Amino acid sequence: MGLAVKQTEPVSAYGKAMDEAVDEVFRLMMGVSCESMEDCPIDEPETISAVIGLAGAMSGVCVLRSGEQSAMRMATALTGIEMASLDATVKDAIGEICNMVAGAWKGKLSTLASSCMLSTPTVVTGTNYQLHTQRPEFRMEHYYRFGGHNFSVTLVCESMQ
Amino acid sequence: MSEIAALIVDDSSVMRKIVERALRQAGLAITEVYEASSGVEALDVLRQKRVDLVLSDINMPNMDGLEFLRQMRAQQLAPDVPVVMITTEGSEDHVREAIVAGAQGYIRKPFTAEQVKERVLPLVGA
Repeated sequence: MGLAVKQTEPVSAYGKAMDEAVDEVFRLMMGVSCESMEDCPIDEPETISAVIGLAGAMSGVCVLRSGEQSAMRMATALTGIEMASLDATVKDAIGEICNMVAGAWKGKLSTLASSCMLSTPTVVTGTNYQLHTQRPEFRMEHYYRFGGHNFSVTLVCESMQ
Repeated sequence: MSEIAALIVDDSSVMRKIVERALRQAGLAITEVYEASSGVEALDVLRQKRVDLVLSDINMPNMDGLEFLRQMRAQQLAPDVPVVMITTEGSEDHVREAIVAGAQGYIRKPFTAEQVKERVLPLVGA
């Protein structure tokens, strides 16, 4: 991982804030907990990624990526409605979860809370795709396990101001 | 407790349902819920319907929540109706901006039903 030099908070603080943000969103909005993992590849062929753009003090993206089953379980926990397919409601729910995670994450960092703006979510589904960012200043990927399935939250910083 | 018609403004239909559920869990006697996915839609609802409470996201396409609130106040639409912003943008600057624009309350996502109860019930006299 390449480290940014302009931020006043260390990358380790970013990672800790991310774990806390994910825990907060799952606990408060879904009433469940998810386990932070060292490494847990997403082994489902169909994946869904919610992307939130960051602008201002930090430019980049926050991406929540999961498999189909994990996404449906998260959407079920958020809405209280059993989800049977990767439909529009599931995509909407995953976008909102990513939005809340990104918002809670930056809110924990004094250098970003007021000066980093979030975009509305974009959701991508498909198989065997990758999201590319040219020359990120740093990239941080954290893994979590929820309901027997894995998901990841990735922060890609393109630049700091 | 008096009966309440609420307008919930959020570009996410999932989040609109979650906010509605939280209002009901808070014990509000909701008789009618109007939904809008943008500030533009929300202004249209206010021109046509009587509401007692507005809950609005901030970060939305096609007129964000702050601009909706400014327009609502400038056009004197439901002038006495309390507006609560529910948003991921929870910094003091954002809260101040919302209060200046005319919001009476502010709830940061993620939220609990208890937080909704604490912030909303006093505004509707419940």
